[in-house]
Amino acid sequence: MRGVLAAVLVALLSALPALAGVTQVKLKLPLKPRLPLRGNEKIALAPFILATEAEKARDRRLQNVDLQAEFQRFLKKQIEKKTKLEVVELPTDLKLPTQNLSELGRSSEYWRAMGVQTGAEIIVSGSLEFRVEDRSGYKTEEYVSPIDGRTYYRQVYVEQTGFLFDIVFLVFDGNSGEKILQDEFKDFRQTGGRRADELQGLFENLFSLENQILNLFVARDREAERYIFTD
Amino acid sequence: MKKLALVIGTALLAAGCGGSYARTEKAETQISFGSAVARRGLWREAAFRFEKAVEKEPSNARAHNNLAVALEASGEFARALAEYKKALELDPNDSYIRRNYARFAEFYTSYTRTTGKATGGS
Repeated sequence: MRGVLAAVLVALLSALPALAGVTQVKLKLPLKPRLPLRGNEKIALAPFILATEAEKARDRRLQNVDLQAEFQRFLKKQIEKKTKLEVVELPTDLKLPTQNLSELGRSSEYWRAMGVQTGAEIIVSGSLEFRVEDRSGYKTEEYVSPIDGRTYYRQVYVEQTGFLFDIVFLVFDGNSGEKILQDEFKDFRQTGGRRADELQGLFENLFSLENQILNLFVARDREAERYIFTD
Repeated sequence: MKKLALVIGTALLAAGCGGSYARTEKAETQISFGSAVARRGLWREAAFRFEKAVEKEPSNARAHNNLAVALEASGEFARALAEYKKALELDPNDSYIRRNYARFAEFYTSYTRTTGKATGGS
């Protein structure tokens, strides 16, 4: 027994210098904008294809959310607040030439005409998907008994709501109508309890994607962790 | 007796001074000081210290790793890449150096990735 203890002690002591000699530091790393812009271009925010349209009939809760309007408002506000781009207004009754994302990316004539008409140098469109998923079921969790202090496992009934948000960005050159960037961002949030508020869920998704979305247009910072040796 | 104590005292003082001077020349001292200033976010000073450590001991993987981190924090990514590679070459089994290099490589790849074409820039 004493031999084992001594061996453990020796192992611990020999590991100490290695543990003591390293520390974790935080760095702020710059993220270059995904689009090579001057920074003060005129930008038009065209409508997005709603990929959730078919789901709407099945999920009444999505009817409470005007996804197109909420997303456009969010995007416009972020661009105006955190970039020097000038947002150009588009007609409110603007219709996309197609509801197919690939075809939308190839509709260069349509985008060129929009660029000429509005003076926009870059035009943003794409597709949006937002889903609310109520989930319930049994989950195994650890339980420490207050009587004997031992750990047991028990099955508990859990109710959760999941919010899934998926955006595909298509960015077009307003002069040529050509697609200059396509990028996709996804976010999934889960909250405890059933029937959590869908608008709140939507904005939780959007705020978590804010840095990535803005990084399309402007430089952003990202926090990173690294190890340095101290001796 | 007093003379003897004086001689011993002087000798110890001289040895102490010599020792402390010798210590500043050591790579570990530079690493230790550099890491202390790095933790306070003084990355330029840290990079200077780690460079000194690398000069003293070019085969010290830890010094190269720390210099790479300081260069990365200062935005000198190409030099940081070279230093991470050197650190890994010197000690390919160190898990901290490997993790740092993997995370830096992920960042650097996305940083240098060019997308689309310029709509302006003039």
